[in-house]
Amino acid sequence: MSELAVETIDLVKRYGTLTALDRVNLQAPMGCIYALLGPNGAGKTTLLSILTTLLPPTSGSARILGFDVCQQAADVRRRIGVTFQEMVLDPLLTGRETLDFHGRLYRLPAAVRRQRIAELVELVQLTEAIDRSVKSYSGGMKRRLELARGLMTDPQLLVLDEPTQGLDPQNRVNIWSYVRDLNRRRGMTILLTTHAMDEAEALADQVGIIDHGRLIVSGRPSDLIAAMGSDVIRVRGQGNFNYVAEVASALEGVSRVETDPADHLALIYTDNGSRRLPAILNAISNNGFAVEDVTLARPSLGDVFLHYTGTALRD
Amino acid sequence: MYATYVIWTRHMRKFVQHTEEIVGLALQSVLWVVLFGVGMRGMISNVGGSDYMSFILPGIIALSALGGAVGGGMVLLDERLRGIVKEYLAAPIPRLSILLGSAASTATKALFQAVLMLIVGLLMGARLAFQPSGWLGALILLAIFAIGFSGLALGVAAISRSIAGYHGLIFLFNLPLLFASNALYPLDVLPGWMRVIVLLNPASYLIDATRTLAFGAEPTLPLWASVLVLSGFAAASMALALILFQRSLRA
Repeated sequence: MSELAVETIDLVKRYGTLTALDRVNLQAPMGCIYALLGPNGAGKTTLLSILTTLLPPTSGSARILGFDVCQQAADVRRRIGVTFQEMVLDPLLTGRETLDFHGRLYRLPAAVRRQRIAELVELVQLTEAIDRSVKSYSGGMKRRLELARGLMTDPQLLVLDEPTQGLDPQNRVNIWSYVRDLNRRRGMTILLTTHAMDEAEALADQVGIIDHGRLIVSGRPSDLIAAMGSDVIRVRGQGNFNYVAEVASALEGVSRVETDPADHLALIYTDNGSRRLPAILNAISNNGFAVEDVTLARPSLGDVFLHYTGTALRD
Repeated sequence: MYATYVIWTRHMRKFVQHTEEIVGLALQSVLWVVLFGVGMRGMISNVGGSDYMSFILPGIIALSALGGAVGGGMVLLDERLRGIVKEYLAAPIPRLSILLGSAASTATKALFQAVLMLIVGLLMGARLAFQPSGWLGALILLAIFAIGFSGLALGVAAISRSIAGYHGLIFLFNLPLLFASNALYPLDVLPGWMRVIVLLNPASYLIDATRTLAFGAEPTLPLWASVLVLSGFAAASMALALILFQRSLRA
């Protein structure tokens, strides 16, 4: 078996004239947490649907744990656990029935099912609620139950589509800690999608930035961020951004300027932010550009996203 | 197939817990027999030697199985539209077992309803022939028939984009099935052209076979033909459902 948990080669998906995925080459090593980061509609769910064998690609190929998603779909299905973007739960069943039914679909023996349910209920902290029907669950509880269901079959690869969408901050952090735990303690490979920068930063060993169906860049978040330069000055304001870019680029210590006029945002990368800040502000605050807000920080994944896609990541 | 059995048990568990559905189905059966059967009986005392209640009971049972198939299709449509069907699709089970699981639970509900209707019908004066093997045969044919119409309903559910669209399409074949059959009137009173249509309707074969097997009426269609037509119908409609279902997954 290859060392890659997920590998796609020139993966393309078209719906009529619309290209949802455009020659995606993704590689996720075994044992890592890989986050696909991109705005809604970027093609993340389409990509996951192909990787989880729900949808055939138009062209190209994909391997999961060494198995081809088209030729060896049954082998793939047996080895992965999935949670979907929508809540995919039957409100009439209890939590325990939901998990038990799922185990039976995968032909797990009764004793194994009983033991796994006991373990997982503990893990996702649903002990009190597990015998209640799912319709009485809150959003966070449903998500946790879905996570437990994805884990029922003890998968080698866990695929999570927007695992914390619609959850409150506390539940998000809970889900993050389960995901981290599964990866660290059990060595489970996890592939997840998110449109939340903080989620990718909190979880991912590897991140792939996807926009308009193309995988634009991928790598370790720290490497991607380090490649951006040492300090970034984020300037929000009104006026001519071309002018800002032109003037700032000419200043000493400025390595690069990126602008996103639609968001009234300019990113000015420098060797030393706090030392260069006064000169930069002085230079750009003329000729009809009004600075409204300035922050000085280390570059973040958000800046990486803007750098590669040309726009800021929006929800 | 094991997955079919698992999905069937899930539907059955939900059915048992869902009191409204059971009560609804039961009441529906009783009302059909009482209101329709009794009403028509006031007009017609007997058909071809058997009392009208015995004549019409197989028809009512067949038609309520149709209603059950429509409901089974609804469940699949609902699961499709809400994404629940993805849990099955990501599991290592054949696509066909998802459809067969639905069809099997529809057939089970149809049998439950049929038994209830028979009991009510007997209380209302229908006369069952005393031949348990015949009853059993009729119930088996009913199950095959229910699977056949489940296939059609599941196929429509696989290609419908909305609940309203589904009902629109279903209505197209539901109404003719009732009137273009031998459910309400015997075959030999019909004009030739309508007889052709009635003979194209699988419900006619079930109804005729049930009258023969369970109520001891004279067969107007050979029993072997009924068995053949119903089995062929069930196989063909499940195949159609599978084709449409798989096509819907590719888009």
